[in-house]
Amino acid sequence: MAVERTNPVTGDGPAADGGGGPAAPYRRRKAVRVLVPVGVAGLAAVSVGLVPALASGGSPKLPRVTAEQLVARVLASDVQAMSGTVRTTADLGLPAGVLDGGLPGGGGFGGRAGGDGAPGGADRGGAGAGGGGQDGTAAPEAQLTRLLAGTHTLQVAVDGPDRQRLGLIDRLAEYEIVHDGTQVWGWDSRTNRAVHLVLPAGHGDARQGGSLHGGARGAGPFAGGRVPATPQEAARQVLGAAGSTTAVSVAGTSRVAGQDAYELSVRPKGTGSTVGEVRISVDAANGVPLRVRVVPAGGGSPAFDVGFTSVSFHRPAARTFAFTPPKGSEVTEHRAAAGDLPGTGPGRPGAQRQQPGGGVPGGGVDVVGQGWTSVVSLRLPAGADEGPLALLKGFGKPVGGGTLLHTRLVNALVTDDGRVYAGAVSPQVLRRAATGGR
Amino acid sequence: MSQAEAATAAVPAPVPRGPRPRTVPGVLALFRSELSITFRRLRTLALLAILAALPVLIGVVVKVETGGSGGGGGPAFIAQVTQNGLFLVFTSLAVTLPVFLPMAVGVVAGDAVAGEAASGTLRYLLVAPAGRTRLLAAKFCAALAFCAAATLTVALAALATGAALFPLGRVTLLSGESVPFGEALLRALLIAGVVALSLAGLAALGLFVSTLTGSGIAAMATTVGLVITVQILDGIPQLHAVQPWLFPHYWLSFADLLRQPMYLDDVLRNLGLQGLYTAVFGAAAWARFTARDIAA
Repeated sequence: MAVERTNPVTGDGPAADGGGGPAAPYRRRKAVRVLVPVGVAGLAAVSVGLVPALASGGSPKLPRVTAEQLVARVLASDVQAMSGTVRTTADLGLPAGVLDGGLPGGGGFGGRAGGDGAPGGADRGGAGAGGGGQDGTAAPEAQLTRLLAGTHTLQVAVDGPDRQRLGLIDRLAEYEIVHDGTQVWGWDSRTNRAVHLVLPAGHGDARQGGSLHGGARGAGPFAGGRVPATPQEAARQVLGAAGSTTAVSVAGTSRVAGQDAYELSVRPKGTGSTVGEVRISVDAANGVPLRVRVVPAGGGSPAFDVGFTSVSFHRPAARTFAFTPPKGSEVTEHRAAAGDLPGTGPGRPGAQRQQPGGGVPGGGVDVVGQGWTSVVSLRLPAGADEGPLALLKGFGKPVGGGTLLHTRLVNALVTDDGRVYAGAVSPQVLRRAATGGR
Repeated sequence: MSQAEAATAAVPAPVPRGPRPRTVPGVLALFRSELSITFRRLRTLALLAILAALPVLIGVVVKVETGGSGGGGGPAFIAQVTQNGLFLVFTSLAVTLPVFLPMAVGVVAGDAVAGEAASGTLRYLLVAPAGRTRLLAAKFCAALAFCAAATLTVALAALATGAALFPLGRVTLLSGESVPFGEALLRALLIAGVVALSLAGLAALGLFVSTLTGSGIAAMATTVGLVITVQILDGIPQLHAVQPWLFPHYWLSFADLLRQPMYLDDVLRNLGLQGLYTAVFGAAAWARFTARDIAA
C-alpha cells in the first residue's frame, strides 16, 4: 500500500518508503500491519484450543438407566458387524526396555514390543523410535504385544464371531490380522512376511482374541497375556470378572466417536487390587462398548485406554475379510491347536519364544485367589535363570525371597526358587500368594 | 489490507494512477512473470535435476541389492518396491520429504524476496505498478508452484525408474489388499498433491524469513536451518507436547492414503497445520514486506 504513494521512486536513501506521506495515516497503517499477523496468530491459537474442546466436550442428555440395565444392554447387544478406527493408549509405567528385552512368558505380558520405549510418548504408533525394535516377525502375538506401550491406532472391521480384520497402523507401514472362519492371516507390510494359521474345524466360536492369543485364562481382567484390541473384548473381559467383589454403577454420559454413550463405572470392592476403576463407555443406542479405560488404584492417567475414534455399524464388505498373501510375500504356515502359538518366524535369536518350554506352557499354571485379586503363578523352566530372567531381575526391585517387578497396573514377583507370581494386585497380595501357595 | 487501501484512497492521491493490474489478467501476468523468474533460474533447475536423480539412484540400489531386503531395514516400502515399481514413487517421496524437498523449497522461498533485494532488482519490481501485497502473493504462489513441481519431479522420475526396473501391475496396499494399477496411480497422484501441500507451511515460513533480510544467502540458510532444527525437535520424545504443532510432524502421514480404508485423520491434521502456518507466516510476511524500507 505504501508503495502506491512512493511509486515514483526518484528519491534515494532508506526513507523512500512511506517517508513522503503524512505521519498519522502512516502510523495507523503500521498498527494495522502489526495487528493483522498478531490477530491471525491469536485466532489460530484460539481455534486450535477451542475446536477439540468443543468436539469432545459435553455430556448428552439421555434417559436414566441403572447399572443392571446398562450391563444387560451390553450383554444383550446383538451388533455383529461394525468397523472403525480404534486408538489404544497404554501407560503401564513399565521400566523402559522391558518390552524390548522380553519377559519370561506366562507372566501375562511376555513378548516384545516394537519401537516405542516411552509409554505415551509417541503420537503415532511406532513414531517414537521409528519401529527400531522390530525384528521382522509376522506372528500376531509379538505384534499385538506392542499395544502394551504407547499410543497406537488400529483399523478394525468385525462381522460376527468368525470374521474380523485388524490393521495396526505404523508409520509408513501396517500390520494386518485377518480372520475368516478357519483361516487366520498375519501380514507385516514392512517385511512382506505373512503367517498363516489354519484353525481346527469347529473352532467357530473362538473369538478373535481367543484364537490369536494363547494363554492361561483367569486372573484379573486382562489375564493371560490377552491384549484387548477392541473395546468389545476388553469390556467382556471386565464384565466377566464382575461379581460380588465388584461395584458397578452408571457415571453419567459422554460422547465417544460421535455416538451418545453411557459411562459405566466398575470398581473392585475389596482392597489388594491395583485396579482403581474401569470406565466403559457404552453406546446408548445399541449397547456396544465404545471405549474402555482402566485407571490404576494409585490414580493418574488411565493405564489402558482403548476406544473408537470413529465407528460405523454397517456390515463391512465381504472382501474385507478375504486375504490373499501379496505377491512375493514370505509365508510361514502353522497348523495351530488352541493355545499353541506360532511365532517361530525368523526372529531374533534369543527371543523368549525360542526357549525350551518358554512361552505359555500348557501345564504348571496355577491361579491363586479369585476375582480382582487372583494371581497367576507358574514355575519357570529350569535354566531360565540366565538371559531374560536375569534381565528381569535387573529391572525389578529385590524383596524378601525374590524380585518384584512393579508397574502401575500389574505386579510380578519372581521368587528365588524359580516361580513367577503375577496379577493386577498389590505386592502384599503377591507375597501372600507366594508364601501361601508354596 | 482493505483498510489500508481505503486509507490510501482517502488521502488525495498525489500520484497519478497508471494502469494497475487489479484485474485477473493483471494478477495472472504478475504470477506468470514470477513463475518464469523462479523456473528459469539455473539454481532451480539444478535443484530439480538433483531431485529427479534421487529416485533413479534409489531404484538402482534396490535393484542391485535385491534379495538382501530382509528384516525390514532400509528405506520405507522397500519390501514392496521389488514387487511393484509404483512403490518406488512412495519410497522416493518418503526419502526426499524429510530433507531434500524442504531444502529445495527453503532455497527457493528464502530467495524469493531477499535474493531480489540483494541483487537490487526488488526496487525495480516495486516501481512497477503492482503493489506489494500482490507481489508477495505472486511470489508465494510461485513458491507453491515450485513445491508442486519438485514433488512431481520426484514422483515422475520414480515412476519412470520403477517402470523400467521393476514389474508393474496390481498394487498391494499397506493393508494387504490389492487394487488395479489405475486406482493405485490415482492414489499416487493424490499423495503427490498432499506432499506438495505439506510444503506450503514451509514456503510461507521461507517467504517470511526472506522479507526479514536483504541477503539471499542468509534467508536460504536460515530457512534450511529451521527445517533441520524443527525436524530434530520433532525427534526428541520429551517434547511430545509441542510436536503436533511442528510443521513437519505429520509429513509422513501421506502413507495413510495407501491404506484400505484410507485413514485420513493425520492427513487432514497435516493439511490444517500447513494452512495454519501459511496464514500466520503469510500475514507476518505481508506485515513486514509492506512496511519495509527497500534500500537497495
